[in-house]
Amino acid sequence: MQADMANAEARAIDWLIRQRNPDFDDWSGFADWLAEAPEHNAIYDAVASLDRDLDALAAAPKSKPSVVIIPDAPRRPSRRAWFGGAMAAALVGAISLSSLGLFGNDDRIETLAGEHRTIALADGSKIEVNGASVIEIDKDRPRFARLESGEAMFHVVHRDDDPFIVETGDAKIVDLGTAFNVVRRDRQTSVAVSEGIVLYNPDRDKVRLVAGKAIEARDGDRQPPVVQDVDVASIGGWRSGLLVYNGTPLAVVAEDLRRTAGMQVRIAPEASDLFFRGALIIDKNRNRTIADLAALSGTKAQRQGDGWILTR
Amino acid sequence: MAFQSKQSMTESRDRTDPAQGIEGVLLANRDRIVRFLEMRGAGDGAEDLFQDLWMRLTDRTSGPIADPLPYIMRAANNLMLDRYRSARQSDLRDKAWGEAAAIQSPSAETSLISREQLALVETAITATGERPARIFRRFRVDGQNQRDIASEMGVSLSTVEADLRKVYAALAVIRRQFDAS
Repeated sequence: MQADMANAEARAIDWLIRQRNPDFDDWSGFADWLAEAPEHNAIYDAVASLDRDLDALAAAPKSKPSVVIIPDAPRRPSRRAWFGGAMAAALVGAISLSSLGLFGNDDRIETLAGEHRTIALADGSKIEVNGASVIEIDKDRPRFARLESGEAMFHVVHRDDDPFIVETGDAKIVDLGTAFNVVRRDRQTSVAVSEGIVLYNPDRDKVRLVAGKAIEARDGDRQPPVVQDVDVASIGGWRSGLLVYNGTPLAVVAEDLRRTAGMQVRIAPEASDLFFRGALIIDKNRNRTIADLAALSGTKAQRQGDGWILTR
Repeated sequence: MAFQSKQSMTESRDRTDPAQGIEGVLLANRDRIVRFLEMRGAGDGAEDLFQDLWMRLTDRTSGPIADPLPYIMRAANNLMLDRYRSARQSDLRDKAWGEAAAIQSPSAETSLISREQLALVETAITATGERPARIFRRFRVDGQNQRDIASEMGVSLSTVEADLRKVYAALAVIRRQFDAS
């Protein structure tokens, strides 16, 4: 029986090779062979389908590097473009760049606070990594990344048969054709989708996020996270130095400022229960960012060491 | 009467006369094409698929085809392969993602193997040896015909055939591993 199968496969291959000749015309001979045994058709389909996939061989370039890391050029948003000056938001500095020999290990990318980096993957996908973040990629698993901590924006080239998977904490985020932003902070994961569709924990929570939707999940949550609306334009805003909040604890804003701009902002205990609503632009004058954050959150800002402290 | 008899005479003389046009050849060989579709996995749907094939072939505005019947049979074969691939793609996706993934409609053009799998295919081709790998590339990637490859490489036509069989057989083994994993 096994020998029959192998023989049938060899015959199927013979037909396939002959049929690749444009002058092939023995279709009735081929039909006769198909009629000989009911399984011949399936054997032929399997081989012919693989052969069709070989079209990709021609397109596949040789020995392309699996990963290219490009330090980002600093981007400065136009203050006027966003707010026309109406909303008091601070302009904070060009994002510091560093290339501190972190290229030693291709698979682990660690950014300093305020340092932004873009990772170009071989399949055309792109990961923009915010500062103070750690991300791991794997040369042998080109459709996978792990966000250990921090924040990254993923622009994924979708493949139906090979979805891109981002792991963070104990959560799994699966793209269905997508750009999305992921933040991993202390025992908490936020996902916001700006394009396409993402599945959050497909084998557990099965939360489906379309563009303009976001979730915040805490490690160990029993319930699947609640899907919320977000402004698509603000997703991944850190890349252009724009941070938008809608009732976010000040500690989280401080953490974002550290990651995105390398600013050290402490929140005094009595101010820790305040929530921030508004937008901050990051540009040169960081004192103004802080002043605006203070004004909009009802706190006072003071210099403290290399950074600032917000008090009530 | 005279006209009718003339037409039937033409038909009996040559069932694949290009002057009949593709519609004529489709009609004249209807039973044969339907039977082929059945053999190629269409089963009871063969009549419907004959209609699909008709639409595919008569839609296009290309000029007359020199040898219409082999052309039609090839198109029928491709139609069935496309259907197989679409069905397979849906299966793969259903297996992977359950309900949530049925969003994008399957397309016959999409590759069914991943980049990693393609890399494995490349490795498997190389592993068959230098000459078979080279012959296979000339044949499958560059689209060179077997006779030209034989003269180019200074080997016999049967050597080219044997090498091609060898490489395809290696790929069939790899494919089964993809399915099993």
